[in-house]
Amino acid sequence: MELMQVMGNRRSIRYFEPDKPVEKEKVQVMLEAMNRASRAVNADFVKVVVVYRDELDPDVLQQLKTPTTTAEIDMAPVHMFCYLDLSYTDGAQGRLKELVQLGALNASHGWSEAYVDEVVWATVLKPIASDPGILSYIGAIDAGVAINQGMLAAVDQGLGVCLHAFNTEIAKTALGIPDHWLPLHLLLVGYPAEDPLTGGQRPRRSLSSQFFVGNASTPWQEIPEVTEQCKKTGLIQNPVDAAKRRAEVRALAQRFGLPE
Amino acid sequence: MAPTDIRNDPAVVRWFDSAHLEELTPEEQTHRLALLADFCDHAGQQPGELAAGVLRTTKDGDTAISAKRRTAMNTSIDEFVDKSGFSGKEAVINGNIIRSFLVHNGIFIQGRAWRG
Repeated sequence: MELMQVMGNRRSIRYFEPDKPVEKEKVQVMLEAMNRASRAVNADFVKVVVVYRDELDPDVLQQLKTPTTTAEIDMAPVHMFCYLDLSYTDGAQGRLKELVQLGALNASHGWSEAYVDEVVWATVLKPIASDPGILSYIGAIDAGVAINQGMLAAVDQGLGVCLHAFNTEIAKTALGIPDHWLPLHLLLVGYPAEDPLTGGQRPRRSLSSQFFVGNASTPWQEIPEVTEQCKKTGLIQNPVDAAKRRAEVRALAQRFGLPE
Repeated sequence: MAPTDIRNDPAVVRWFDSAHLEELTPEEQTHRLALLADFCDHAGQQPGELAAGVLRTTKDGDTAISAKRRTAMNTSIDEFVDKSGFSGKEAVINGNIIRSFLVHNGIFIQGRAWRG
């Protein structure tokens, strides 16, 4: 699938085929896509625990089922518990030096081995590492970039995905999560039981309400020809038809015995 | 408690409106009402009390869900389904009909999905 089509097709899928397993090969492609994501100091921000629901110890599975997660666990065959590894500044100097040696970071922009060896810790890394707030938000951004690449790789392979909150305490114990992993999201993965396009795209606000040019008070003006091109490539798709969608949701709820 | 006893309860009206249950057949509507009425008997509460009982008021005066009471409610629903003799998909559906009532009255709660 072309990239614009993949981005246009992505939806938060909430009804999965519960008994259609996700191929481990497809999961690995998702992980590889995450591993290729842009990342500051070439760090491994995101840590993911892939859980195949039907291979999980029944006691652990039971622990993970709570009054807010049971239906999701029953439906999604793969659960990816996503964390931010707060130790990401560890080893950063070595990785930066490697990037200098490989020509990814260059003198053209001020980078050198000397800068990495002698200056970067005190002026860049230490201020980040010593402030939990900064450490978390910088890391969460880069972890989110990686997770998104994994999601798009899933859609490209015909899978459905949805980011969820999860019970972090139960997961921490059940999955043996170390203390320095900050919980981010649970990424549910499976084959959609619903229309993969969920009847259309969900509402979005105009570009001019979110994006600006030159300064923060000059809205981006949409170029109509570009908007049309985005429709042709599948990035922009028809909006959801609420009545049809309600009928689909009712049918899905009845199929799975879920609340309507 | 009979289905007709609870149909005009504000929490039931809210459920029917929010879930568009009027679109169902009269038999399907009556089944849902009868099930909820039976559950009210099981819990010894009126419909509105079921939902309100899972909510709590925070020290700032906001409305929140009590996790402990939600867990207790989920257990109570499962007990009711067992006691009523439902099994298989019927048990899942009927338990989730009670949960649907709670959901449409503001309680975020999930039960099993039928995988048969």
